[in-house]
Amino acid sequence: MRWVCIVFPQLALDGVQRLHPEPDAPLALLAGTPQRRVLQTVNAAARALGLRPGQSLTAAHALVKTFASAEYDPVQIERWQQFLAAWAYRFSSQVSVYYPRALLFEIESSLGLFGPWPLFEARLRKELTELGFRHRIVAAPNPAAARVLANLYDGLAVADDAALQQALAPLPIDRAGLEPQAATALSRMGLRTLAHVQALPRHTLARRFDVGLLQHLDALSGQRPLALDFYQPPDRFDVRIELNFDVHSHQALLFPLRRLTADLSAFLCGRDSGVQRFDLHLEHAQAADSVIKVGLLSAEREPGMLFELARGRLEQVQVSAPVRGLRLLAEDLPVFVPQRQDLFDERPQQTLPWEQLRERLRARLGDDAVQGLRFHADHRPECAWQAAADPRACQGLNKVQRPGWLLPQPSPLAEQGVHILMGPERIESGWWDGADIRRDYYLVQTRTGQRGWAFRNVGQSDGLWLQGWFA
Amino acid sequence: MSYAELHCLSNFSFQRGASSALELFERAKAQGYSALAITDECSLAGIVRAWQAAKAVELPLIIGSEVRLENGPKLVLLVQDLSGYQYLCRLITVARRRAEKGRYRLLQDDFDQPMPGLLALWVAADDDTQASIKWLRETFAERLWLAVHLHCGQDDARHLQQRLNLAASLQIPAVACGDVHMHVRGRRALQDTMTAIRHHVSVAEAGTRLHPNGERHLRSLDALGALYPQALLDESLAIARRCTFDLSQLRYHYPRELVPEGHTAKTWLRAVTEEGMARRWPHGVEAKTSMQIDHELGLISDLGYESYFLTVHDIVRFARSRSILCQGRGSAANSAVCFALGITEIDPSLTNLLFERFLSKERNEPPDIDVDFEHERREEVLQYVFQRYGRHRAALTAVVSTYHAAGAVRDVAKALGLPPDQINALADCCGRWSDDAPPLERLREAGFDPHTPILHRVLTLTQQLIGFPRHLSQHPGGFVISEYPLDTLVPVENAAMAERTIIQWDKDDLDAVGLLKVDILALGMLSAIRRCFDLLRQHRGRNLTLASIPKDDPATYTMISKADTIGVFQIESRAQMAMLPRLRPKVFYDLVIEVAIVRPGPIQGGMVHPYLRRRNHEEPTTYPSPELKTVLQRTLGIPLFQEQVMQIAMVAADYSPGEADQLRRSMAAWKRHGGLEPHRERLRDGMLKNGYTEAFAAQIFEQIKGFGSYGFPESHAASFALLTYASCWLKCHEPAAFACALINSWPMGFYSPDQILQDARRHRLQVRPVDVQASDWDCSLEPIDGAQPAIRMGLRLISGFREEDARRIEAARRQQIFSDIADLDRRAALDSRAQALLADAGALRALAGNRHRARWEVAGVHKQLGLFAGLPSPDEDAVVLPAPTVSEDLHADYATLGTTLGPHPLALLRAELRQRRCRSSRELMAVEHGRNVSVAGLVTGRQRPGTASGVTFVTLEDEFGNLNVVVWRDLAERQRLALVGSRLLKVDGRWEAVGEVRHLIAGRLTDLSALLDGMDVRSRDFR
Repeated sequence: MRWVCIVFPQLALDGVQRLHPEPDAPLALLAGTPQRRVLQTVNAAARALGLRPGQSLTAAHALVKTFASAEYDPVQIERWQQFLAAWAYRFSSQVSVYYPRALLFEIESSLGLFGPWPLFEARLRKELTELGFRHRIVAAPNPAAARVLANLYDGLAVADDAALQQALAPLPIDRAGLEPQAATALSRMGLRTLAHVQALPRHTLARRFDVGLLQHLDALSGQRPLALDFYQPPDRFDVRIELNFDVHSHQALLFPLRRLTADLSAFLCGRDSGVQRFDLHLEHAQAADSVIKVGLLSAEREPGMLFELARGRLEQVQVSAPVRGLRLLAEDLPVFVPQRQDLFDERPQQTLPWEQLRERLRARLGDDAVQGLRFHADHRPECAWQAAADPRACQGLNKVQRPGWLLPQPSPLAEQGVHILMGPERIESGWWDGADIRRDYYLVQTRTGQRGWAFRNVGQSDGLWLQGWFA
Repeated sequence: MSYAELHCLSNFSFQRGASSALELFERAKAQGYSALAITDECSLAGIVRAWQAAKAVELPLIIGSEVRLENGPKLVLLVQDLSGYQYLCRLITVARRRAEKGRYRLLQDDFDQPMPGLLALWVAADDDTQASIKWLRETFAERLWLAVHLHCGQDDARHLQQRLNLAASLQIPAVACGDVHMHVRGRRALQDTMTAIRHHVSVAEAGTRLHPNGERHLRSLDALGALYPQALLDESLAIARRCTFDLSQLRYHYPRELVPEGHTAKTWLRAVTEEGMARRWPHGVEAKTSMQIDHELGLISDLGYESYFLTVHDIVRFARSRSILCQGRGSAANSAVCFALGITEIDPSLTNLLFERFLSKERNEPPDIDVDFEHERREEVLQYVFQRYGRHRAALTAVVSTYHAAGAVRDVAKALGLPPDQINALADCCGRWSDDAPPLERLREAGFDPHTPILHRVLTLTQQLIGFPRHLSQHPGGFVISEYPLDTLVPVENAAMAERTIIQWDKDDLDAVGLLKVDILALGMLSAIRRCFDLLRQHRGRNLTLASIPKDDPATYTMISKADTIGVFQIESRAQMAMLPRLRPKVFYDLVIEVAIVRPGPIQGGMVHPYLRRRNHEEPTTYPSPELKTVLQRTLGIPLFQEQVMQIAMVAADYSPGEADQLRRSMAAWKRHGGLEPHRERLRDGMLKNGYTEAFAAQIFEQIKGFGSYGFPESHAASFALLTYASCWLKCHEPAAFACALINSWPMGFYSPDQILQDARRHRLQVRPVDVQASDWDCSLEPIDGAQPAIRMGLRLISGFREEDARRIEAARRQQIFSDIADLDRRAALDSRAQALLADAGALRALAGNRHRARWEVAGVHKQLGLFAGLPSPDEDAVVLPAPTVSEDLHADYATLGTTLGPHPLALLRAELRQRRCRSSRELMAVEHGRNVSVAGLVTGRQRPGTASGVTFVTLEDEFGNLNVVVWRDLAERQRLALVGSRLLKVDGRWEAVGEVRHLIAGRLTDLSALLDGMDVRSRDFR
């Protein structure tokens, strides 16, 4: 009894349902093409209404008027398995996600810490139930057997190889973890249980089946070890520096901050990545941490720059309570793409590169204060500009002449002395989102010689509206 | 002031033009335009409709097309005269044939020869090169204009001036035109939506692919006058005056090569007809028939249709020479001439169909003959036609696929950015072929609020889009054949299927220009009958043809009257089988009626029950007038056929034959386009004048409406009935060969091989299992002592088994039967998959015993290939494997063959069912009418016919046969789950047995499917 297998029979559903306000309402997870949506899995309430996996959504709607549905998302399932692996990592350093929708872990070395197996098992069940994951738990002498037995049993603990043999023998052939093809072939030969197969001479099987079959049988009986990869917790940077005294000013924090950013930089270099955002925790003696979020537009790792940025943000914060410690937590660690640098750098010493200037501005003024501007393909002028943090280049508008500055709202323009230079240009568009416009636009010149962009609403006599200025 | 619009797209520029030709013409007329060009993009698909619209509103049509040259300028080509029209057809054909379906590639080289009669408007763009400008001037010379589009863009004044300067510098005239995409500004939203659909994006994402405003419509003359200098508007009129071509100038010529040297079409048709007469009536032709033929030939000659009959004759002759079974039907097919020519097998002396009804001097429309061919061999016939006449002279007609409600709401909802699940839900709210936007009721039921702005937009646009053409697809078999290249008449383009070309006109457009169409269709039953004839020749020494099957056979009619018709043509459906015991057909014409009567038309017209009552002498047969007696006598005073409705209109309401034909067309189309109302008054007034009652007139009109598009013509019914009779005779007298042929032609018809084999066994035919030592790919016959041979199941029944593997087994076995599995493996070269399938299906029992054993052996032998190939197999101790149980065999039979020769699943469950007090279908036959009973059976069919309001018909099968269950709507709704979800269903209900008509009215449904676990029992679901 060295290995535990926990099978999560409804991992996808549980993943969705644990976040769902009404977990007992009928729920189905959908997959398939947009044209033919199919029910992938259904919960008990939905099953009671006649919904079945494999049904088309249309057929399901024919049966049941309303039921909740969500996307069946393999990526999400993978994520939950990782989440559960991280959970199990507390109990064993040898956790494996070798089998989908299941966890395997070694417990021999953990039993001392977590008590005898019944106690340990009860704790596992309690925690899993609280987390909202249905499960079956089996303990067995080897991992393959534990996984296969968990197909049929819940709460089984097999102590030794003799007991294992007894437990495996009656296992139906299609639940014994064999390749589907081999399982089908065996059952078509009339062999219904593992015992039937084990009773056959090995060489007759070797002649008829791929080598995988005998290997699996050997793995089940423990004669052949299963090569397992073990779970590694994710990389992150989390370092704190405890201060020996209460700090009240920014100034005194700069030194430890420089240390931390330098360590971070070293860490990033070591794994050849950059950082896109990190949190700075100011730990107080009495109160909760003050958290300062530092975000970058692109992944960076240059220590001076990281320090400058963190400092910019830090200096904006009021240190409300004495600080006892400083902690830097970085989890977003994308691959670092260095800037190409010319051999002969022509930048004058005093000027900042644009990226650093941009980051400094953001650090000083706040994230929302520095925005990019993008074109958006829409005939309506007010929809043709968008503020965006996305630094990628965008397509320009074609041909038409547009003012460089749009007013937030069009404002009435007194027509006296306004001179029409060009137009009308008619724009009728936007009916689909309820903001349909029908306007005739003019290039106008005001008495002061400014060039503006103004429109009249077609079919209305509410005068001229100014919407923008040409430079 | 006036104006002619020379650049205008109709909705045949798919997903671009947002108005129909009729809408455009009506608007242009109302605005005082003096002509309108329809210039769909590289297409003349909509031009016949435009021509009809132009005639209807009396505004000249100019035919043209907008094209973009590859790496070259965009042009609007306009047709000046007939030669120009032919050049345009040719250009479009060349450009379309060069590209995949739905696209085109037009090159400068395509204009190499001079094209007088084709005018060009140049739609200049900034990226037009000097070279292409030079090319334009050289190619079109004085036939080139610069098109000036003014659409309230950024700076129209400057744009106009630039264009005028350009024209002046090139010394070509400029002309005003509108690049019209819709008839009124109000179609702007639809036009934007279509743009989004075309680009597969939502409207919000479409951005600058949308037009900036709604100016691309037919603007008022005032508005145009304010925009354009007068000279540019006047120039449009000058161009319009030059374009004098009209579609009525087209002349279609029948192919001539069918007539040999020294003959005219007329003399040659007479010659082949007489040749056929000698074959049909070897002992001399009756005077009456001979007169009929003379009369028909005279009529054909007067109308000039000899070549049409010769063409059909030629195709049928080809099919015969290849032993492809075929039969003609439809207007003109049931003539004595067609019988003599071998186009049909309906002996005109046996029926009283009148030729005039299908071909009349007054109507002057092309005759229509559909010819059905064996479904598996029709392609040979198609390719023969392409070869015989060449691809430039023969092509399939197009079918204009139009938007139905579901497709329209789907595309619109997608363009408005709704998520896929909601799009599907919306589409589900539409009836299958419905042409109305989804009803608000249904939407609410599906959880939509129809009054939200987004849904309101979806519904409004859907309503506009419904009925719009969507794309061209190919007609299933309508051929157009011409003496001269087809592209002198109409552009030809590629179909989606390789080796097929289609013309750009829909079948409905052909009549307008007098094009000949021959329908070459596919029919599964013909394949089955031909196979049956082959089997009879091989195994039974009987040489039968459609013509030589004994007529008026009482045994056959007795069988039909008992509704013992599983597998036969047309009268095998549930509804048909329910009707047979009531109708009790005794002569051929009864079958013609039976085929036609169980259709939505007569059922909705309320004609079925009156007819049955009269036939069973429960009510007297009366006629509204002596004149109508001649029309209605053969159907006991009840109009059942389309032709009769037309005749009533002629006899009772003084319609001319041409008008009656108009009525027929309106009947077919009223559901979609309306247009029956004028006939209501016309019929009523006419009938009142002739002394009929108002009530009778109203009744006739209701019947006409009921016929709708489902009305069945007698001419088709007669041809179908002939196949019905033939298939019934075969089933009656050669049931083994017939069942064999049906299965070998599958998929076709209403029943699965399992049901056909069960039916065969109920008729005491011996069915033998698949066996690699005896089975071919097809099912075959094996002689035994007894009247009928045994049916040997073919390897084609093993699901997933490949034909080439079966053919290799056949070939190897012909040398010598197999001695063991290893021998089979060696000589038939089967892969492990094929071997496993054989083993699982039980086909190896002669070589290896039961399935389990066979699978074990096969696995052992086959593994030897590869590394150890050729080594003697090591001696293995015999391994003990459990033998399959009866139930395991049953499961395996269903899983591999879809049928079983062992006990029926219900036979195994009978004891259990008896405990639940279920009776078998055989026991039910002894139960008296009105008793409450319980039965259980496999659900083999669920049908909810549109004609029976809310009733679901369920067919249950048990070990003794089938049973019909009627489930009324409220029960269906209460027990929907059991009704839809059951494979094995228990029904408690009331037994109804009146005469031969028996069924169970369901009172309660119970799902017993759990008893069947693991069995693959297929059900035909709602259709």
